[in-house]
Amino acid sequence: MSIHASSLSAQPAPTPSGGLRLPGDPGTRLTDSRGARRAGRVLAATLLGAWFVAPLLPLALWAFADRWSFPSVLPTAWGTSGVESAIAQGAVPALWRSIALGLVVAAIATPLGAMAARALTLGTVRWPRIVGLILLAPVALPPFAAVMGLNVVLLRAYVPPLVGLVLVLVVIALPYTTFAMRVAYAAHDVRYEEEARTLGASPWRVLWLVHIPLVAPALARAAFLAFLVGWSDYVVTVIIGGGAVVSLPLVIASSAAGIGNDSTVAILSLAAVVPPLALLAVLAFAGRPRTHAQRVAFAEVHPGSHPIRVALARPHPAEPGAR
Amino acid sequence: MTSHLLLSDVSKQFSHDQAPALDAVTLDVAAGSCTAILGPSGSGKSTILRVMAGLDPVSSGQVFVDGVDVGGLAPERRGMGMVFQRPLLFPHLSVLDNVAFADRVAGTGRAAGRRNAERYLEMVQLGGYGRRSVRELSGGQEQRVAIARALAARPRVLLLDEPFSALDPELRADMHRLIDEIRAAISPTIVLVTHDRDEASAVADHIAVLHEGELLQHDTVDAIYNRPRSLRVSRLMGGLNEVPGEVIGGAHVSAMGAVPLDDARRTPDGRATLVVRQEALAVRATDDVHPALPGVTEFAGVVAGIRHLGPRRLLTIALAGGAVELSAELPPGQAVGVGSPVGVTLPRAVVSTVPD
Amino acid sequence: MSLAPLPTRAPVSGRRGIIGAMLVLPAVSLALVVLVGGIGAAVLQSLGLMPLVGPVRLSFDAYSAQSSSLPESIAVSLGIATASTGIAAVVGLAAALVIVSGRWGGRIVAAIGAATVTVPHLVGAAAIGLLLADSGLLPRLLGIEPGGWPRLVGGPWWVAVIAEYSWKESAFVALVVAGTLATRVARYDETAALLGAGRLGRLRFVMIPLCLPALVVSSTIVFVYTLGSYEVAWLLGRTYPEPLPVMALRLFDSITLTARPEAAAVAVVTTAISLAAVGLAFLALRRTAMWR
Repeated sequence: MSIHASSLSAQPAPTPSGGLRLPGDPGTRLTDSRGARRAGRVLAATLLGAWFVAPLLPLALWAFADRWSFPSVLPTAWGTSGVESAIAQGAVPALWRSIALGLVVAAIATPLGAMAARALTLGTVRWPRIVGLILLAPVALPPFAAVMGLNVVLLRAYVPPLVGLVLVLVVIALPYTTFAMRVAYAAHDVRYEEEARTLGASPWRVLWLVHIPLVAPALARAAFLAFLVGWSDYVVTVIIGGGAVVSLPLVIASSAAGIGNDSTVAILSLAAVVPPLALLAVLAFAGRPRTHAQRVAFAEVHPGSHPIRVALARPHPAEPGAR
Repeated sequence: MTSHLLLSDVSKQFSHDQAPALDAVTLDVAAGSCTAILGPSGSGKSTILRVMAGLDPVSSGQVFVDGVDVGGLAPERRGMGMVFQRPLLFPHLSVLDNVAFADRVAGTGRAAGRRNAERYLEMVQLGGYGRRSVRELSGGQEQRVAIARALAARPRVLLLDEPFSALDPELRADMHRLIDEIRAAISPTIVLVTHDRDEASAVADHIAVLHEGELLQHDTVDAIYNRPRSLRVSRLMGGLNEVPGEVIGGAHVSAMGAVPLDDARRTPDGRATLVVRQEALAVRATDDVHPALPGVTEFAGVVAGIRHLGPRRLLTIALAGGAVELSAELPPGQAVGVGSPVGVTLPRAVVSTVPD
Repeated sequence: MSLAPLPTRAPVSGRRGIIGAMLVLPAVSLALVVLVGGIGAAVLQSLGLMPLVGPVRLSFDAYSAQSSSLPESIAVSLGIATASTGIAAVVGLAAALVIVSGRWGGRIVAAIGAATVTVPHLVGAAAIGLLLADSGLLPRLLGIEPGGWPRLVGGPWWVAVIAEYSWKESAFVALVVAGTLATRVARYDETAALLGAGRLGRLRFVMIPLCLPALVVSSTIVFVYTLGSYEVAWLLGRTYPEPLPVMALRLFDSITLTARPEAAAVAVVTTAISLAAVGLAFLALRRTAMWR
């Protein structure tokens, strides 16, 4: 497992766009500041911004540097030789393989996590604590350890490496999808579905017409997290794939382990950074509440509602962030 | 704990494209009094408390406490205690430490703070509950602790934002008694926001009626009910009777006839609407053997409809051949039915007029 | 983490119970195959009960074979994980507080933090290398010659490794903590202000206690992740002493026949340490008043 992601709702922007302001929204009078305090706040935000952005700066510069001799602060010759050598190393097929791996993991782990979360939230599961523990356990265990042991088992059972790889990555993604969906189902009102049933919809129609549309944003978040697991994995692909599946991280690693191909490493890294960022942007844009009713519901679920009861109803004190 | 609070011409606008949440509100709350701010949802009730507390800045106008403008003061330095509808007890602290919170952040020693907190817990009749976790409390107890916590901060003004509306009716009556006891013990200045007229009159000595950000009337409970300044106040207070007509020489003249007015309660001569509480009308079945008392003007009418309000009945009475309809609450005991002829008396002390 | 109370309902039985079981079965069975199969097989291998070739024989040889370097590896792994978790927790908490302040600065920090969380660790390692190596961007900016630049990459203090983990994990901590702060704490903050608590008082007596559980949970996840992560230490670390995952993978890839059980032994040791850390965190969490 080599990635953590956060669900988008972890971004504290519950101030909805339509000018609806609620008591207790972030940024009220309490956080107003003037003079020195304001300066301190701006400084803190700037330093934190720099802390998060700084490591990505050399990537952007190196990616299009043909030559960058030592003392100069900017590349001495710009160019695309990094791109050419990355392509020569098989970056393009590796990129497609990684995308496919991420999508397959998301396609399996999201429905499994959603189903388990639904059953756990509705309380229709025997031994719910143990089940919850099993599904969250993968974050508490070093993946390389499980994978090393499992490798022998899979070999003896003649499971193809690709299937084994997907299996392990799905299990690593399950804590995230289950968690994201448990948060969503805790705020989801089953009475919408019951209402649809009384209006004459079959369970199957209710699933497609009411249930899934209502939890769609959460499903998208869960799928994004699962995609990230497949997209950024290195160690599982190395051990179980055994070289059979050359994903983008493997190409990056082999390039980064060498010396003198900094611009290749940089362009490969950029290729690994951009697709999830694009997905994140799409999610952020699409996940915003649009209608008035949605905004009100959002406001009710988020800053309002009984904090303690909500805390208890939710499976996790660390609320909407998952990794 | 007892301070004079004055809002002077306070306006609050959240964004430019919206109507102001508060529109030039001037409100004078005497030291030691209890004022209820009453209004429908969206009238700006909660905003007015948040502005008093300093949680939201005013757009214009001033807030004075004991004559000092507190506009520049952060909420924690204003000395306003506030209790919200949700008790918001800190989940990481025990009951006692919740009540001792203000002392703790003020730097008082922990032991002294807790001793002090114990006193306030006793004031809300929860002495001995201090060691419990806030999760072990019932809804009413939670709200009592929230009040004790606010009082323990020794606020200059205590602000209550719909503090009892999540409680069931019996608990609510208990809480009203508790407020009375607190007022008797330490007479804090209290501003209470509520949408419940009965609660306002049960707890407060003054009522301020707010509608769409505008302060319509601020008066004693009695005056708000019986001498509304406008039809809107009368309607917001649940008044049902409005008789259009004209004030001529000390009486209100309408289709039902002339109703004599108290000098203090009448508007200048001219078009005016007569308002009178449905609870204040005296209704008598006219086939009764007793005649009307001498010197009292009685209007003859016919019962047009009956609706039950618990033990009492709300009569709709048609007068002047249906040209005027009055509503009147009838205590149990009188035998009237739809179609019964009745005599209606409008006691002079409760009739008032508002200009059209 | 998983042990938060679940809604208690009537005992689950009959059709509802069957449906519930069917809904969790696919996820649970896959998880059990990987966890029990994987860790179980690792334990068996490490004890010589599941050899690739040769006779089955119970022995602790695999554990004693690396006895000279294993303690050092454990120490290095724990040191890296502790330092990274500590920095990530402090920076993450600070970022969370800036984020919930709700100003534009907070929005920007939230957006950049969310972006950071999506970056693969391997890419992060490559990027930190390009930043901190003796020919990296930082010495260039500061105008320091390679000779005068400390060995941050591959040096004795594992600076680049710790920097990478702290960088990425601080974003994770920030988003988790900001999630709890933003949704629940704002009203408590107001209440505390009305009771006379100033900025520092609110931070000390309300904000930090209320986000402590989220901070403990996210820090634990960071610690366990850092302890079991391979690629960053492999790329940015030195060759000796090796962190546990690096050692395990080297042994796993070795051509010697005895190396596989030894790799499994290192894996089992790492798993045991992770479980102990999670157990300790859980105990700590139960002591915080917010829990339950």
